[in-house]
Amino acid sequence: MGGGDVSEYAAIHARVRAMYAAMLSSETWRDLCGASDLTSLIDLLKETAYGPYIAEVEDSRLTPRRTAYQIRKHLAAAFDAIVQLTPAPTRSLVNRLCRRYEVDNLKALLRGIENNTPWEQVNFVLFPLGAFTELPGQEMVEAESVAAAVDLLQGTSYYDTLSHAMKRYAEEQSLFPLEVALDLAYWRDLWRNVGQLSNASRMPGRRVVGSQLDANNLLWAIRYRVNHRLSEEEIINYTLPFGYRVRDEDIRAIAAGADIASIVSRIYPEMGDVTSLLREPQSGIPELEVQLQRYNASVYHNAFLGYPFHIGIPAAYLLLAEMEIQDLTLLLEAKSAQLPLERFQPHLLVGCISEQR
Amino acid sequence: MFFPEEMIEVELIVPEENAVAVTNMLAEEGVFHQVDAGYVKSNEEAGPAVAASDWQQRASAFAALERRLLTIMDVLGVEEGVPLPDSDAITDVEAVRPDVERLEKQVQDVTGDLEAEQKRREQLQSYIQQLEPIKQVEVPVNLLRHPSYVFSVLGIIPEDHLTRLETSLTHIPFVLVTLLKDNRRAVVVLAGMQQHADILDRAARSAYLNPLNLPDEYQGTPQQIIDALQAEIAQMHQHAVEREGAISELRKQHQEQLQTLLWRVRTGRLLSDALARVGRLRYTCLIVGWVPTARLDALTQQLKQVTDDVLIETTPVSRSHAGQDVPVALKSPGILGAFRVLVTIYGRPRYEEIDPTIFIAVTFPLLFGAMFGDVGHGLLLALLGGLLASRKVRALRGLAELGPIIIICGLVAAVFGLLYGSVFGVEGILPALWFRPLDNIMSILTTTIGAGVVLLSLGFILGIINACVARDWGALIVGHNGIAGATLYWSLLGIAVQLILGKQVVPIPVLIVLAALAGVAVMFSEVLQRLIDGHRPLIEGGVVTYVVQAVFEMADTLISILSNTLSYVRVGAFAVAHAGLSAVFFILAEMISPAHGVGYWIVVVLGNVFIIGFEGLIVGIQTLRLEYYEFFSKFFKGGGLQYAPLVSLSKRGSK
Repeated sequence: MGGGDVSEYAAIHARVRAMYAAMLSSETWRDLCGASDLTSLIDLLKETAYGPYIAEVEDSRLTPRRTAYQIRKHLAAAFDAIVQLTPAPTRSLVNRLCRRYEVDNLKALLRGIENNTPWEQVNFVLFPLGAFTELPGQEMVEAESVAAAVDLLQGTSYYDTLSHAMKRYAEEQSLFPLEVALDLAYWRDLWRNVGQLSNASRMPGRRVVGSQLDANNLLWAIRYRVNHRLSEEEIINYTLPFGYRVRDEDIRAIAAGADIASIVSRIYPEMGDVTSLLREPQSGIPELEVQLQRYNASVYHNAFLGYPFHIGIPAAYLLLAEMEIQDLTLLLEAKSAQLPLERFQPHLLVGCISEQR
Repeated sequence: MFFPEEMIEVELIVPEENAVAVTNMLAEEGVFHQVDAGYVKSNEEAGPAVAASDWQQRASAFAALERRLLTIMDVLGVEEGVPLPDSDAITDVEAVRPDVERLEKQVQDVTGDLEAEQKRREQLQSYIQQLEPIKQVEVPVNLLRHPSYVFSVLGIIPEDHLTRLETSLTHIPFVLVTLLKDNRRAVVVLAGMQQHADILDRAARSAYLNPLNLPDEYQGTPQQIIDALQAEIAQMHQHAVEREGAISELRKQHQEQLQTLLWRVRTGRLLSDALARVGRLRYTCLIVGWVPTARLDALTQQLKQVTDDVLIETTPVSRSHAGQDVPVALKSPGILGAFRVLVTIYGRPRYEEIDPTIFIAVTFPLLFGAMFGDVGHGLLLALLGGLLASRKVRALRGLAELGPIIIICGLVAAVFGLLYGSVFGVEGILPALWFRPLDNIMSILTTTIGAGVVLLSLGFILGIINACVARDWGALIVGHNGIAGATLYWSLLGIAVQLILGKQVVPIPVLIVLAALAGVAVMFSEVLQRLIDGHRPLIEGGVVTYVVQAVFEMADTLISILSNTLSYVRVGAFAVAHAGLSAVFFILAEMISPAHGVGYWIVVVLGNVFIIGFEGLIVGIQTLRLEYYEFFSKFFKGGGLQYAPLVSLSKRGSK
């Protein structure tokens, strides 16, 4: 915690604090959740920090999907601002955090290719990364096959992973092995990068990034066992041996058939009654996912307390901003389908949830 | 100067046949911020009109041609070059396509299917890599791959997956031997009992262990197969060398043509994109966008030169009724432009908002200078700023934009150095034209709090003006940064100042009543704003909850008022710290070399470098903090739409 950290992180800390303060307030969330329909919701959103991005598109074209695409541009802009201010040694971590959207885009592109979806439709499902991306999206979708699309990735960081996994795709004709390979490679690389941070940043970085990794890893293991009914060795190979609170022994125990609820309760004692939650796994797992994400949101908020000159704060802000956008996307779909508040509120992560606590 | 440039909405109705020429001209002028009007369609079938979707298709076709051209240029090693002055007219896709296809064919004839050949070579290398670790085994490969009594796999696995694979098999006996590690992959043999074949196979597959799949045509021992594979690779390499000469010849022949084609195609894509956003009526087209009002007359004249049949409809937009779709063009003349970056880092002003650039351009150097007042340090900082602005040091070019700001801050710091009588931290050479901070600590602290009061008051006034301009009456009258907020602040300030000075200019009871009234207005500002703006319901979520929330918000407002004002104490504190820190280095130097030898001067020089670098940075950050948190938060929201006019490629290139 030397002067170097203070001088390196002071500017970005000031900027991120300002961005954090500009996140949607509980009053705004209340208004948004209470909007009578999609049009009123969009009108309210125009008055927020998302307004300029929504204003780029004519009102008559603002479908829920298009609006969600526009508001995601806000997060892309936040990444852009933060990357520019992040000190060089830790900039690669912020870039890697951004790469997760690229990984998601890559999966969406591969699905688009397999389903023969035209580029015009695939485009608006993607995260608008602008100059950040190295994916030739349109060319990939217009390629004749998944194999041809993967060939177009030569020279990118994804080529090695995908070209190696293509053997299994060719045999199984399923995108599952490609998607798992991408996820595993991404998280291994990110975790390695967190381990290389400076002393002041390593612990907060592990706490923020590791909390997200924990939730993902745990849910993968649970879903592979409950939904996909994979064998012990497959579950182990498709998950990761590291994390912040979730240990490798926990994952291996789940893979070996141990009681999931008791493992989750032990890792997250603050989570409440997990046993009854997982009594009906099909409905319980999505609910568990929401609870894990809400727990993570509290971890990210807590990152803003205490010694401020480290990478934890920008990383936490970016993850919170992503959650805000996830909630807004859900809200757009809900208002479009005219769902009542009680139908969508349980799925929100950071917005309109104070009443439930 | 105080508001973003005045914009006017322009609708151009032009005959269909002039749409292309008009779009060309708009790109040439480079002032028209186009808005998508592609949703406007005639109810009747358009006659000869080219539909927006056709332009969309043309844009896609141009984009596809551009990618093909770039591939050809990449293979031949041709640079993109710069746009030609006469490359701004739109071309027909079909006029360019044959040229691209012909060049593509010529390249393919020479290079063959480079991609397939590359893949083949990689595959052969991969076989060699897998066979290399077992090349000394004098047994035909076929026997190794199909053992009779044990289950075994020879193959390649990502190195990261090795440990996980071992973990996944802890409950059965197995052998995993790593034969070779290279390029984050490992060649391994996994073996176990036949009765566990299912488990081993699942584990190997899920760990992405790709087994060696050598085609049957390769027979013999590992060494014999490696020799055969290497011979094949050598043959491919020989072909590649022969091809390089032909590629070089093609490059010489077609370099210029490829560059010309590329820029024609790019122009086509740019203009097709613009034309796809044109609305289609039955016989005419609708082009919608925004233009700075000051540029409208010149643009109108240019349009009339293209066609007399253009109908220009303009809709001035008042700042009070401007939505967020009005693009914001900031006009900050001369040196003010340099400070714009400090504003846009925080946010782009909305159209109806005061542009804070001029205020930050004045207050930022003043606050910085007051904290960093020293003639020597200030002038050195100004020199450093000059170096950055000159872009002469390649490594510092990324900071060139900050150069002018640093020059001004350095010069103002030098002026404050004269006021404080400080040069390189020495306080005996120059007389202090004002006072020395270290000897007058209370004076400097109270002065800077006074400066803070002035700045915060200015922030309140600007907030009130912004609310007036936007006709946001609720925020204006009862908002935290409106009249009520300002009255509360000034009343409390008046009470405090009069009590401290023991003088009474305005009767204190009057100020107490004013503060109480303003406090109540601020406390219930949410309800009152909804009442004034006609929004219902007035209270959501219950009266009790609201009152509790209002009480806490009131407490928060009072704390903010106090902390915002006291925050400016840091200006005085840094002025004192600057002098103190300099004194510390002189004491250290004295301790190291009392006779003022080389050691003395080394410490003095290093100390000054530290002060200019480290303290200069900290002071800069503190100044930014005062601007963003204390000042901007009173009146500036940001979130405006960037003005991005349609500009031709050659014009962009020339800029």
